[in-house]
Amino acid sequence: MALIGESSAQLALRDPDIRLMLRVRDDDPTAFAEMVELYNHRLITVLQHLLGRPEEAEDLAQEVFLRVYRARKKYRPRAKFSTWLFTIANNLALNALRSRQRRPTVPLNTRDSGPLGPRPAEQLVRERDDQPGRRLQQQELAGIVRLALEQLNERQRVAVILNKFEDMNYAEIADVMRLTTKGVKSLLSRARENLRQTLKDYIYMDNEAPALEARDDDA
Amino acid sequence: MARLNDEERKNLVAYLDGELDAKTSLDLETKLNLDPAARAEVDALKQAWEMLDYLPRAEPSATFTHRTLERLALKTSVVPQARTGPLLGRWFRITWAAGIVLALAGGFAATRLFSPAPVDSPEVEQHLVRHLRALEKVRLLEQADDLRFVRDLDDPDLFGDEPGS
Repeated sequence: MALIGESSAQLALRDPDIRLMLRVRDDDPTAFAEMVELYNHRLITVLQHLLGRPEEAEDLAQEVFLRVYRARKKYRPRAKFSTWLFTIANNLALNALRSRQRRPTVPLNTRDSGPLGPRPAEQLVRERDDQPGRRLQQQELAGIVRLALEQLNERQRVAVILNKFEDMNYAEIADVMRLTTKGVKSLLSRARENLRQTLKDYIYMDNEAPALEARDDDA
Repeated sequence: MARLNDEERKNLVAYLDGELDAKTSLDLETKLNLDPAARAEVDALKQAWEMLDYLPRAEPSATFTHRTLERLALKTSVVPQARTGPLLGRWFRITWAAGIVLALAGGFAATRLFSPAPVDSPEVEQHLVRHLRALEKVRLLEQADDLRFVRDLDDPDLFGDEPGS
């Protein structure tokens, strides 16, 4: 890993996020708010794609920040700060997913949207009627990609999201997921092959939009 | 035409991510140049990856930071209480102990200041010796109302021995 061999002081000088975290550690009264402002978009984006529920993502992001605050005195700048932050986020997200699996929700009747409002697919159909085609296509593609992502197993999903949204290299993902770099390489290879298989019918859709419209007409 | 073997196929994603060493990457690139099917496969992997860009970036609620700080304040207002509880108890005990010591010292000083000297002190002994005669007759003296009357009793002209007795 690129950071091995560097002293904490060198790391702190190079990484402004580490400097910020050191201020949090030293009880600088404004530093924690700065950190929340700086990281909330990234953290909530990752958690939202991991959990698939925006409101749960915000709650969990808060919990991640609180954990960071509680652990601030133990913080030692050994790696990039974001690696530490997303390690905490990953642990909490996996716990939340496992807890959700232990308490499965009652599935809605597929013929009835019920009081909770329309399902995503219904929403897409409704929007299809009153939105310009381009926006519709993007929204529909987003829905399709989200479903493809949800079909990956938890570990593949984490690796993909960190790689895609946090631009983490394999070594950093390995740190977050407590895997070897080789393990991450294998995980991402399988994950992206799965994505390719799931998305193969849509891959060129953003360049050749009519394909989707034709399917709708058929339906 | 050289086909990709399983190992090379597994390396395709790492190749796209720039995670292969230089030699492996170059070897794979050479094969890809010779194999249109493999190139199409790589292209599809790349396109599928780019489709993830359609996923929206999260937009946290406007109050997110504020709510997080509030939640922290709630938590930390409990934690310091939990932490300062024993701390307060310790100070409470120390203050009480110091108060008791001060009270004892004050009481001792006041006793020394305002109470009579103890009976076995040298000053008292000298005083008692000087007035020994009076002390020996203290019961009689208690019955006398007037000190002048007592002195008169001591006058030999009034109560001396009878001549010739």
